[in-house]
Amino acid sequence: MDTELLSDTFIELADTMVADFDVIDFLHLLTDRSVALLAASAAGVVLADPRGELRVAAASSEQAELLELFQLQNDEGPCLECFRTGRPVTAADLAGATQRWPRFATAAVQAGFRTVEALPMRLRDQVIGALNLFGAGPGSLGPADLRIGQALADVATIGLLHERNVRRSETVAEQLQGALNSRVMIEQAKGKLAERLGVDMDRAFTMLRDYARSSNRRLTDVARTFVDGASADFPPAARP
Amino acid sequence: MTDRRAVVVWAQVAAHAAAQGRRVSVADVCAVAVSSAQLGGAWVVAARGGGPDFVMCVTDLVGEQLAEVQLTLGEGPCHDVLASAGPVLAGDLSEAESARRWPGFAPAAARLGAGAVFAFPLIVGAIRAGVLGLYRGSPGPLSGRQFGDVLILADAATVMLLDGAHGGDGEDGIAVDGQAGDLALHRAEIDQATGMLTVQLDVPAAEAFARLRAYAYAQDRRLADVAGDIVARRLRLHRDQGQDGGP
Repeated sequence: MDTELLSDTFIELADTMVADFDVIDFLHLLTDRSVALLAASAAGVVLADPRGELRVAAASSEQAELLELFQLQNDEGPCLECFRTGRPVTAADLAGATQRWPRFATAAVQAGFRTVEALPMRLRDQVIGALNLFGAGPGSLGPADLRIGQALADVATIGLLHERNVRRSETVAEQLQGALNSRVMIEQAKGKLAERLGVDMDRAFTMLRDYARSSNRRLTDVARTFVDGASADFPPAARP
Repeated sequence: MTDRRAVVVWAQVAAHAAAQGRRVSVADVCAVAVSSAQLGGAWVVAARGGGPDFVMCVTDLVGEQLAEVQLTLGEGPCHDVLASAGPVLAGDLSEAESARRWPGFAPAAARLGAGAVFAFPLIVGAIRAGVLGLYRGSPGPLSGRQFGDVLILADAATVMLLDGAHGGDGEDGIAVDGQAGDLALHRAEIDQATGMLTVQLDVPAAEAFARLRAYAYAQDRRLADVAGDIVARRLRLHRDQGQDGGP
């Protein structure tokens, strides 16, 4: 465990009072650091939408995103159980979980994962979503990793629910809708870049994110500008 | 989770249109919003030039004046939602926060008889179609259930505006019963396919989305399936294809 990265991560997740706070960047920080710090190969976050459904808000890889979507579309899987019960759900052996989740377990194994943990994003009675950790190796995360994973989810939840203080006039509900729309914009940008350069969605996402980081811009802003067509030769370093 | 609520709400919109003996339009969305969220009135403003600039539909005189005064002042919740991409919920316009935020609009709205104003962006990612505005005569927030229903209604209005703006037999293509769930649950592939079509067809995102929907409708296929084929590169659309709903 990289303890320095761990303490940095807690500080960053708690620091939502910054002027240019962006929910999507924040949730990507959560998924990426979960992978970097814990024995997880991929991570995803789903959030509750007041329309009465869960939506994928962030994922560390395209595979993780597809598995999150797969659960939502098929209405089965650890992520949904975790959200509905507000409690952690562990699958230490996905290959043996085909009775519990016939479609999800099969899809996850095909994608190369052997374990999954779903941790609730919850503050008191309010469950706002779930953090999912996918493992490619045998055996589930140890109790120490699970505690840290839950702590990361808890800090992120508190950060999100307090984020309204930054822009006083906006509630969590208003902010969340903006964030979910940002997610849509990122998917549109991935599609446009994938088609333009003939790369897959995972590669397109990595390129968009690397470009946002190297130019010190928010991923959401990069995606919007690109889909709007305002940057014809974007991203400059991405020419094949 | 299921998309059941979306299907129920879209069915209400279709039923309202049928009761009026006409095809589904944003007027039905406004009417259903008013009854299900217990509002004084509703309006839809189209964003043709990027900002809200054209009143498409109003349910009553107060709603019309609220829509117009925001266009005139260039200020108000309907302007803010397109910038933030999230809804703006002003449950009590007499609060100091509203007066500070909208020094022109807040007192004007009060004079018109509005105690609360709610504005919802009609957007799909980078695509901006317009704004759904709602008001109540007396202050009071939307309940969680009402908020969820209005989000679903805003999705419906968005699709109607985009289909209407990009030719074809748009209103017929709404397919109210079939596509509500698609829009919600299979979203990522629909959005990715929209992005891909901007390149394949060399059109803006709003038109790419409308063409994707028109193609699915003309082929009598589910939107999510067509989007999946495009993302998997099993299907390409061409410039002269899908314009009128098919090859």
